[in-house]
Amino acid sequence: MNAHPYAFLALFGAVAVAFPLILLAVARLWFRFFQPPKPSLDKGAVYECGIAPSGDSWIQFKAHYYLYAILFLIFDVEVLFLLPFAVAFTTLPGGALVAMLVFLLLLAEGLVWAWHRGHLEWK
Amino acid sequence: MNYLELLRALLPETALVVGALLALTFDLSFGVRQSRETRLHAAVIIGTLAVVAAMFGALSAGVADAVFGGVLVLDELTLASRLGVLMLAWLTLTLTGGTARLRHPAEFVAIVLFATAGFTLMAAAQQLLVAFLALELASLSLYILAGFDKSRPESAEAALKYFLFGGMSAAFLLFGFSLIYGLTGSIELPQIAHQLARQGQSPLLSLALVMVLVAFGFKAAAAPFHLWAPDVYEGAPVVSSALIASASKLAGFTLFVRLLWPGFGPAAGSVATAAGSPGWLPLVACLSAASLLLGNFAALAQSNVRRLLAYSAIAHAGVMLLGVIVAGDAGLGPLFYYVFTYGLATIGAFAVIAVVERAGCCQKITDLAGLHRRSPLLAGCFAVYLLSLAGIPPLAGFFGKFTVFAAALNLGGLAGPAGWLALLAIALSAVALYYYLVMLKQALVVAPADPASAPVPVPADAAIVLVFTALLLVLLGLFPSVVLRIF
Amino acid sequence: MTLDPLQLCLLFSSALFCVGLVGALARSSTILVLLGVELMLNAANINFIAFWRYGPPTAPATGVMFVIFSIAVAAAEAAVGLALIIAVYRHQKNIRLQEASRLKG
Repeated sequence: MNAHPYAFLALFGAVAVAFPLILLAVARLWFRFFQPPKPSLDKGAVYECGIAPSGDSWIQFKAHYYLYAILFLIFDVEVLFLLPFAVAFTTLPGGALVAMLVFLLLLAEGLVWAWHRGHLEWK
Repeated sequence: MNYLELLRALLPETALVVGALLALTFDLSFGVRQSRETRLHAAVIIGTLAVVAAMFGALSAGVADAVFGGVLVLDELTLASRLGVLMLAWLTLTLTGGTARLRHPAEFVAIVLFATAGFTLMAAAQQLLVAFLALELASLSLYILAGFDKSRPESAEAALKYFLFGGMSAAFLLFGFSLIYGLTGSIELPQIAHQLARQGQSPLLSLALVMVLVAFGFKAAAAPFHLWAPDVYEGAPVVSSALIASASKLAGFTLFVRLLWPGFGPAAGSVATAAGSPGWLPLVACLSAASLLLGNFAALAQSNVRRLLAYSAIAHAGVMLLGVIVAGDAGLGPLFYYVFTYGLATIGAFAVIAVVERAGCCQKITDLAGLHRRSPLLAGCFAVYLLSLAGIPPLAGFFGKFTVFAAALNLGGLAGPAGWLALLAIALSAVALYYYLVMLKQALVVAPADPASAPVPVPADAAIVLVFTALLLVLLGLFPSVVLRIF
Repeated sequence: MTLDPLQLCLLFSSALFCVGLVGALARSSTILVLLGVELMLNAANINFIAFWRYGPPTAPATGVMFVIFSIAVAAAEAAVGLALIIAVYRHQKNIRLQEASRLKG
């Protein structure tokens, strides 16, 4: 049999769709037959470890996460420049390599600064 | 593509960025155990050295044609604007050393240097991408500088407003650029001009020009895009306000005059005659008239010194826009001279405000009362700055206004909007003189509210800034050809 | 009347720009204003890509380069914006723009 060179992509896609669907179907069947719903006040309560629940579960989280988000964002966007650079790497002159290293150095300096200032410590 | 050539053209920016990194590294390694005062002075010294190195870099890069395939251009305007911006940045740094109380001094100095690198890059950009990046580097740094004082809610609020307006104007600029790219197939100014001359007017081009001018109006704080200016001038730390009011204006006008005349010149239209012809010149003329009227009349109602300076800055932006209009015929000399001397006078005025605020006063005009007794140096320099802003001979402000108005009247006499704008600006100068004199009366004539009020101590660094700017304003007023000869 | 793909792209990007502009001007929560501004920037990015894709086939990839850099700028802008929003939140305990009115006159 002579398959089309891209046939495996179609197969891959089909498997990718089927895999979560099968798992979801199994979970649904399990729920149907072995786990009848019995709601109660205690089951619906806010989960707090070992102490009596107080207040609503819709609370605001500490905004401390945003620093990590920003640091992640910066290194995430860095890839945007590295990928075209890597694709064209063999045809580029030496100056381009130096320029890219300077770019990485500047990013690293930012990370070192945040680290030294203690912004990476979880408070 | 020659990277060494690129490095040589970018020597000033390299010096500034290396200086910023050194200031940060020094503070991280040696500053930990030092007092805040020592750290501030160390950072300011490193920053000053970087700015001086950048000046030498700009001079050694010299005047050349397009660099690196037309990405940058090193003409007389680039050189003059870079040196001017660096001088204003040096004055800002010196003022920081004298008056600022900062929790993170090295970071402040580093961000001032990054902003300055953005300004000098704006002065050299000859391609839309570099122009956009330089503008954003400068703007993002300025947003941070405006919100640097975390202890005052006004500072954060001013920075947020500045950021929201600035972000929107950046989006307008990018959309305008994308349309220009679509119309001409290029992002380099010479090719854009070539294509525009071949194509002529089209609705899409008008849309693109309007969008670019909206962003321009924001950057220049021209009415009706001025809303951020009074809040930022009032709320930001005073050193940041000084940088935003002076160096940022100079770099912004350099960038946009290069964008508009060499880039979009074929779509300029005309304002020399009453009928005119469509293009961006009539739009700029509208912005100019609105700024002149709104700035001067709103300034009359102010009681806060910084807000008054902000509205007077809007009025001055009107005159600068007139300078952009005449730059096509009369060259860049009048515009550059006007913006540079305006920057000097503004930075001086903010230096006076910084020293007075450091002595414990707030920002009301009446707080200046009796300044001539409390500190004759401050009062004398303040008089020089305000009279220069008002355009009183023999100070530099007078000659700046004179060259711009003369060039505007030369454009077509009183037959067209250019001449009318010049007349309007001359008439409104009388209004401006009134509110400047109200401030001066408080500083020079009125007795102190409290007869026993202590003298205002002037730190040595701030005194250098005050005397230097005042002297330069007098000298440039007497010998304007020193600047005008460059072009 | 039929539209060619370039015109469709331009229509889409203008619609996106308008949605962003309305969002930025009409919303009172600072985060939503920031989202509006990001939409406007992305509308411009779509323009760049569309003009490059349907322009002359031999043209260098200028439009794509511009988009790569403008995405990076948008990320930096979001970082600065979030930091400023946090700074305002520390003082007024919410991020509604109507209450950011200490400075006026």
